[in-house]
Amino acid sequence: MSEAVATTETTEVEEPVIDLALAEEVIQKYKDIPGNLMPVLQGIQDAYGYVPRITVDYVAERLNVYPSQIYGVLTFYAQFHLKPRGKFIIRVCMGTACHVLGAERIKESFYDRIGIGHAETTPDRRFTFELVACLGACGMAPLSMVNDETYGKMTVQKVDEIIKEYSSLPI
Amino acid sequence: MVTLTIDDKQVSVEKDATIYDAAKAAGVNIPILCHDKKLKPFGACRMCLVEVEQMKGRLIPACTTPVTEGMIVRSSTPPVEKARKLVLELLMLNHPLDCPVCDKGGDCELQNLAYDHKVNSNRLADEKFHHEIDYNNPLIERDQNRCVLCGKCVRICDEIVARGALTFISRGIETTIGTEFDGPLSCEFCGSCISVCPVGALLARPFKFKSRFWAMTKKKSVCGYCGTGCNVTLGVKDNKVLTTVYDENQGFHNGQLCVRGRFGYQFISSDKRLKTPLIRKNDQLVEAGWDEALALVAERLKGAGSAAAALATPRMTNEELVLLKQLMTQQVGSQNIDHSAGYGHAAVSEGLGKSLGVAASSATILDIQKSDLILAIKTDVYETHPVVGFEINMAVKNKGIKLQIISDKRGKLSRLPGANLLLNKPGSDVALLNAVAKVLLDENLAVTPATPELAAALNDFTPEKVAELTGVAADAIRDLARAYAAAEKAIILFTSGLAYPGADAQLAHAAANLAILGGKLGKEGSGILALQEKNNSQGALDVGFVPGQGGLDAQQILAGCSAGSIKTLLIAGENPVVSYPAQAQVKKALDAVEFLVVADLFLTETAQMADVVLPVCSYAEKAGTFTATDRRVQKISAAIPAVGQSKPEFQVYGELISLLGGQPAATQAEAFAQIAAYAGISYAELGEGGAFAAVKLQPVQVVPKVVTVAVDAGKFALLTGAALYHCGTMSLYGEGTVSVCGEAYVEISRNDAAKMNISEGAEVKLTSSTGTVSVKARISPRMSEGVAFAPYHFAEASINTVWSGAAVTGVTISK
Repeated sequence: MSEAVATTETTEVEEPVIDLALAEEVIQKYKDIPGNLMPVLQGIQDAYGYVPRITVDYVAERLNVYPSQIYGVLTFYAQFHLKPRGKFIIRVCMGTACHVLGAERIKESFYDRIGIGHAETTPDRRFTFELVACLGACGMAPLSMVNDETYGKMTVQKVDEIIKEYSSLPI
Repeated sequence: MVTLTIDDKQVSVEKDATIYDAAKAAGVNIPILCHDKKLKPFGACRMCLVEVEQMKGRLIPACTTPVTEGMIVRSSTPPVEKARKLVLELLMLNHPLDCPVCDKGGDCELQNLAYDHKVNSNRLADEKFHHEIDYNNPLIERDQNRCVLCGKCVRICDEIVARGALTFISRGIETTIGTEFDGPLSCEFCGSCISVCPVGALLARPFKFKSRFWAMTKKKSVCGYCGTGCNVTLGVKDNKVLTTVYDENQGFHNGQLCVRGRFGYQFISSDKRLKTPLIRKNDQLVEAGWDEALALVAERLKGAGSAAAALATPRMTNEELVLLKQLMTQQVGSQNIDHSAGYGHAAVSEGLGKSLGVAASSATILDIQKSDLILAIKTDVYETHPVVGFEINMAVKNKGIKLQIISDKRGKLSRLPGANLLLNKPGSDVALLNAVAKVLLDENLAVTPATPELAAALNDFTPEKVAELTGVAADAIRDLARAYAAAEKAIILFTSGLAYPGADAQLAHAAANLAILGGKLGKEGSGILALQEKNNSQGALDVGFVPGQGGLDAQQILAGCSAGSIKTLLIAGENPVVSYPAQAQVKKALDAVEFLVVADLFLTETAQMADVVLPVCSYAEKAGTFTATDRRVQKISAAIPAVGQSKPEFQVYGELISLLGGQPAATQAEAFAQIAAYAGISYAELGEGGAFAAVKLQPVQVVPKVVTVAVDAGKFALLTGAALYHCGTMSLYGEGTVSVCGEAYVEISRNDAAKMNISEGAEVKLTSSTGTVSVKARISPRMSEGVAFAPYHFAEASINTVWSGAAVTGVTISK
């Protein structure tokens, strides 16, 4: 029970101060291209790590698009994030092959070590944890990823190593 | 044309029609939830599935499938019926069956379709939705549990209203309709979304639990607010107007309304309505009978001659104005009659009167969508005449009609795709228009040659010379002139009324000169359209409710009251204390005049000063005609009986005429027949949609006088005008409009606000040479630095304490 409470608390990540100059840079790059909303939002997510609310209002004004419409796009695509994310995105595959080979235990191990559940971020914004349906590399099951790095044939020991490795990196 | 067969009926339709359109033309009813004739096909609900012989093997959505030659369509075969029943079962799977308490009950398309298709059980079972109901605003309730995701609200808010307040959020089973970041609805509250919602997901809160739909009688009428002349249907029960009812087939606007039209109706059945005449006795207004009140008024008017005067509101019907004019000019013998503070109609009466040879617009609202270029001058149409704004939006978005704007503030109009805004400094409009005319001459773009006088006068207005004064680059002026000249058909719009002191006769002359030189008059989709403030502004001019030979205008009448030369003043429906400029002077005049009669619906700030107050009827209680701003004459009839002992003004002035020994027109038709401008229109034959009165043009090039307005350094240039939610002071008695905009405010730019450290909603003081008023600050992206805008409707913080009628007033703003 106490764990559950801890989990909820960890999701309350404070929004950092947003420098709109980064958003403007992205807008400048795409502003004259028709259908530019997606690349602009993707660029903004790359720049800030997520899509901060203030940038939505800013893009709406600069591209003359309704803020509601932008929100519609952001919520339609799973690729967009509206909350700050960690520097290291841990993805644990829960697909059929991984499931059969013990994905559940991998998930539990990560939870034991960083104390956050699906789609949550640690308060220091080092880690974001996500469960995904399939990463498309079933031959390596059970599979996890950290950012673009793939970790196949996962074990509980490997979870320790991964956490250790990424905890020592600067954020 | 394409010919096809639907349910064995042959029908020919345009080649861009859909099967659904063709079925409608053939008289075949195809059930549908996501279709509105104003909106683009969407194909969301899948109720309109039909079988097409040539496309066997699957069911075809009628609303998105274009017709082809020889198509054979069957609209109600067993497979079709089976599919529709399944669609309904799926829709009702999560939709709560709370019809007994749903305001939409009886008017609900889902309910009707379920009944039609006998969906009395559901083969599927699932949990109902548990979305929170949005009660965050006073007008629009959003209950996502009832939503069927037809998307009509999303589409109307984008395609017609151009506000985009609503959108589809998330996807799959989690899809809902909502706002950005699921915040409260932040919009204009026009209620268009409510009007098209097929179910009870969007409801008008003021109408909640007021009446079952079927218990109301639906009475057609014409909106009593602005000059657009929208048709409305009033929902009436127990002699009270309880709501407005949407009818997609009503009027040129297809039932589309703005916040005032849809939500501002409460003034009609307001508790604040005057129920009996009032007479001042011992300095108190006390209730009295009609006979006593009218006898008193008649006695004062009798033989008063030019010591009497009348100010009327252009909200009265044409026939009432005819009688009031007759009373004043014939029985009383006074030519001192006017309306809209005198200057409020000058753009049309004097401006177009001289420039076009007729005090009326040359174009109609219907020309907007037939034009090639729209030039909107000094108006954010969306704010002043919202439904005309919708027309412009559709013209620009659906037909690619070009939009050019000359304005002293940005607005929603300038955000339309491709809109080109020339943002000029306040008070420089006429100089800017002259510069455009000058370019037409210099670049040989003029179709009609300029008179030597005009050509000579325009020499001072080369784009370079006015660039500094107007703040608009010379090249931008040239581009605008070239675009205007290049358009085969071009329509010029500007506003006119009490609220728009800057839109004066000179502006109208300058605008008319463009149309004359550019050869844009006298053809469809082209010309000049003055958007007048009140529902019968044009009618008041057509009736000639303006000073007669030797008569005084409104400002002179008030001066006469102060000076003692006017002893009896009859004010019919105007509220000069709040709406006329220079409140101190107006109050002084009304204090000074010996005898003040006010005929109104309410005990307004002006009526409180009266010696006799006559309670009169709203548009919902009387018969007659209104003339919209484009000279469309429309007939209204009483939807409810008179409130209390109030009487239609037609009757009031008729009785006064009789008391003074005259012969009033006995019927509205008789009075209507006296209006020369409407020769050729028969009162009896006026049907729904009305008739356009003829406009005979005799264009004359008038040299506009250019008055440069200088605002002292360090002061704000205060512009006055109307707020989107209000029209005159009458809407202040409509609870709906007041609930979303109930307080006076001033809009200033972000930079000015930051400089003065003023936050949104903070109380600020506006001070001019005539006074001070405290209002709430609004920080608005549409204002330029050094420019402020304040609407004029609000009595509590009346802007006319600082504004004396100038187009631009220098004010200081302090915390």
